[in-house]
Amino acid sequence: MTGFGWGVRNLGRHPVRTALSLAGIAVAAAMLLDMVMLSGGIEKSFSDLLLARGYHIRITPKGTFPFDTEAAIPGATGVVRALRAEPGVAAAGAVLGTSVYGRAEDSLVTLVGYGVQPEAQGIYVVTGGSDLAPGDTLGVLLSEPAARLLGAGVGDTVVLAGRLDPQIAQARTDRRLTVRGTVRWIYDARGQASVGTVLPVMQRLDGTAADRASFLLVKAADDTAIEALTTRLRERFPDLAVNSVADLVVEAKRRLVYFTQLSYVLGGMSLVVAVLLVGTLLTITVNERLGEIATLRAIGVGRGTIVRQVLAEGLALTVVGGGVGILLGLGTAEYLDAILTSFPGLPQAFSFFVPRANTLAVAAVVLLLTGSLAGLYPAWLASKAPIAATLRAEAT
Amino acid sequence: MAALLQEPAPGATEIALERGLAERLGLEVGDTVRLGVAADSLRQIAIVAAVYEPRPDPAELSRLGRRLRMHLPDLAALLDAPDRVDRFGIGLVPGVDADSAAAVVNRYAIGFRAHPSAAIASESSQTFKVVSRFHRAIGFITIVASAVFLLCIMLLKVEERRMDAAVMRFVGVRRRTIFGALVLEAALVSVVGSVLGAGLAWLAGAATNTYYRRYFDTELIFSLITPRIVLFSVCLSLLLGLAAGAVAAWRLVRTPPLVLWGRA
Amino acid sequence: MSLPPVLVARDLRKDYPMNGETVHALRGVSLVVQPGEYVAIAGPSGSGKSTLLQLIGGIDVPSGGSVELLGTRLDSLGDRELTRLRLTRLGFVFQRFHLLPVLTARENIELPMAEAGVPAPPRRTRALELLEYVGLRQRERHRATQLSGGEMQRVAIARALANRPAILLADEPTGELDAATGREILDLFRRVNHDGTTLLVVTHDERLAAEAGRVVHMLDGCIVADGSRPA
Repeated sequence: MTGFGWGVRNLGRHPVRTALSLAGIAVAAAMLLDMVMLSGGIEKSFSDLLLARGYHIRITPKGTFPFDTEAAIPGATGVVRALRAEPGVAAAGAVLGTSVYGRAEDSLVTLVGYGVQPEAQGIYVVTGGSDLAPGDTLGVLLSEPAARLLGAGVGDTVVLAGRLDPQIAQARTDRRLTVRGTVRWIYDARGQASVGTVLPVMQRLDGTAADRASFLLVKAADDTAIEALTTRLRERFPDLAVNSVADLVVEAKRRLVYFTQLSYVLGGMSLVVAVLLVGTLLTITVNERLGEIATLRAIGVGRGTIVRQVLAEGLALTVVGGGVGILLGLGTAEYLDAILTSFPGLPQAFSFFVPRANTLAVAAVVLLLTGSLAGLYPAWLASKAPIAATLRAEAT
Repeated sequence: MAALLQEPAPGATEIALERGLAERLGLEVGDTVRLGVAADSLRQIAIVAAVYEPRPDPAELSRLGRRLRMHLPDLAALLDAPDRVDRFGIGLVPGVDADSAAAVVNRYAIGFRAHPSAAIASESSQTFKVVSRFHRAIGFITIVASAVFLLCIMLLKVEERRMDAAVMRFVGVRRRTIFGALVLEAALVSVVGSVLGAGLAWLAGAATNTYYRRYFDTELIFSLITPRIVLFSVCLSLLLGLAAGAVAAWRLVRTPPLVLWGRA
Repeated sequence: MSLPPVLVARDLRKDYPMNGETVHALRGVSLVVQPGEYVAIAGPSGSGKSTLLQLIGGIDVPSGGSVELLGTRLDSLGDRELTRLRLTRLGFVFQRFHLLPVLTARENIELPMAEAGVPAPPRRTRALELLEYVGLRQRERHRATQLSGGEMQRVAIARALANRPAILLADEPTGELDAATGREILDLFRRVNHDGTTLLVVTHDERLAAEAGRVVHMLDGCIVADGSRPA
């Protein structure tokens, strides 16, 4: 019978007390896991989103980030050509984001319009039908919500309108397009109705007909040289903002800094609760068993064994409670994520709570260490109990 | 785009800068700058006529950029879009319902929509409604954890006094008396604890406000402890404390005294 | 050639504070115990019997005097060595048994052997032998809480014998037992002593004192009589 074995068995002495302690530790562990997931989730999710199609760099008007403002990059086609010629660039494409109108029966509905270069695009995945061919000025791609709104499917014709003239109550620019396919726009919010055409078509619909783009996408030829490429492009295009995925993640974290900080505060508080619970329980049980401990010391059981037994009890509580807590935490994370991902305008594919093996491992290790530390004081108490005085007190 | 000029020039327009922008650029009232829509076309000369403090707006918290204000015709001329705006603001005469007025406009409008200000406020508050829901969810989880913790501690503390309870029963003290004493003790601990907790919350709130006001350079209030919130917390703590105390006390008083004494 | 004494206690004194006053539990007690003796230390409550036993067993430190156990002065040993001595050369039996309730009878007996580093197979064998010796082989798998008072004390005695101690120290071993059960314990002690273990038993039970070959009477922290009972 090892110190650990009988330490674990001691937990069975008071089943109700142990069950409540385990419940408390489980809730604390669940909260800890959720906060660990939250602290790394924003970065992981956003990073995955940005790298979904393998594009490592975004280029936007100076002082802006993608989809942040209505500012645009002039001479987009020329810039893309220069990028494609740049050593280290595997692919480059332009995206224009704007508002367009679609005719749904007798009314006009507002849609988000994307002008893309299909040969180098990083913002959608085809889910039905086919992609646009480069230069296809008669085709359009629809998101599922857009398809429902317009009542159109693959092969149907839709009418998209650009700037509207309120005085003549008509669209200034109007285009009949054939639906080539349905797509999932990677950065669309839940339920967003979006359409996509080749870049020149959307530029015309936009009303200015200027060669402009909201941002450019760049794919590096060498995954390990992304930062070096970013630096070179910054020097090459000083009037544009060149950001790697890492830069954009930093910005996203800055904007969502509150959640990161909250995760540290709540995670810390969970650990404090766990320490208090385990520490209090063990201290009280040690005090209750001082006579037993004194007897063990009297018959020759060393302080080390006593300490190991107490620590083992704490560890057992933490392991079992923590195990339940991790399962509970995965469930509460889903619930909390469902709340946070209802932020308006947030890409549907974005998550705040991302379960990963290393996240679970971090939470488990931190919890185990905490549970062990919590047992230190009661273990010390147990080892220091004066044998004779305790036996005398027990006898009275 | 703006560039600082050393001396005022004729034909200059007037602009007003946000305080943060003025500080960042090191500009003061009376300074002259050059404006343009591109870095290589800073053709409009402007004089800083005023520096203003923007109204604290939560929706603007994460905005990086700073704003300047200029007269509409000047901006239209700068953008080369003489007859274009992004939105109109409409003030209604007293007694006119905003929703009805918006409906009338929308019936005839093409290319734009009218929204009552309240609707826009509600829509733009969605972000904060989500944050509130998140806070409530965290609060609920915390309450559950606290309740479990409280019950556990109460059970432990009451069990520590099993011998005392046994002796009291031996000498004839009624179960009811022991139960009442323990529940009262639990209630007192809960109330005192929650008042201390409210104090701690006030301190944490003050620290939160100080930190985030500095971080976001704003006068917004991030954490607010109201009397209603304190009252709710104290009442909830009391309720949980009474429940935990009652459960722990009931377990103690229903145990035969000899068992409590350890002889049975 | 006679063997050296197993215990030599010289002028032992023990004072400890209680409620602001100093209690003189022992006032200069000297005692020599030879190998194989069965010594009963008798006296009324508060006479210092248990205090004397605790000093002899090295679980308390005297305020004055010395204890030499099996040729070793206890005041020359550190805590670790004292613990080791208690584990391997002494056996302790207490009034309240103090078995671990979560362990079975066999596991309670194995506990000191596990602490001494005895491997599991011989440990188990020895534990079963001892259970047989105390007449509780059939209770091997019962937890301590499932045993009667007498059974618990017999398991406690078996535990005390686990590492083949030179001396068995017992503090009021029949204090919590009824007469019949106490009788069983007396019989067991007689056997243990007959099999070669030196016994030092603190008791105010006259029957138990009568069983011993030598009775040391204490009163107010002093030995007032020390006599061998005629064989």
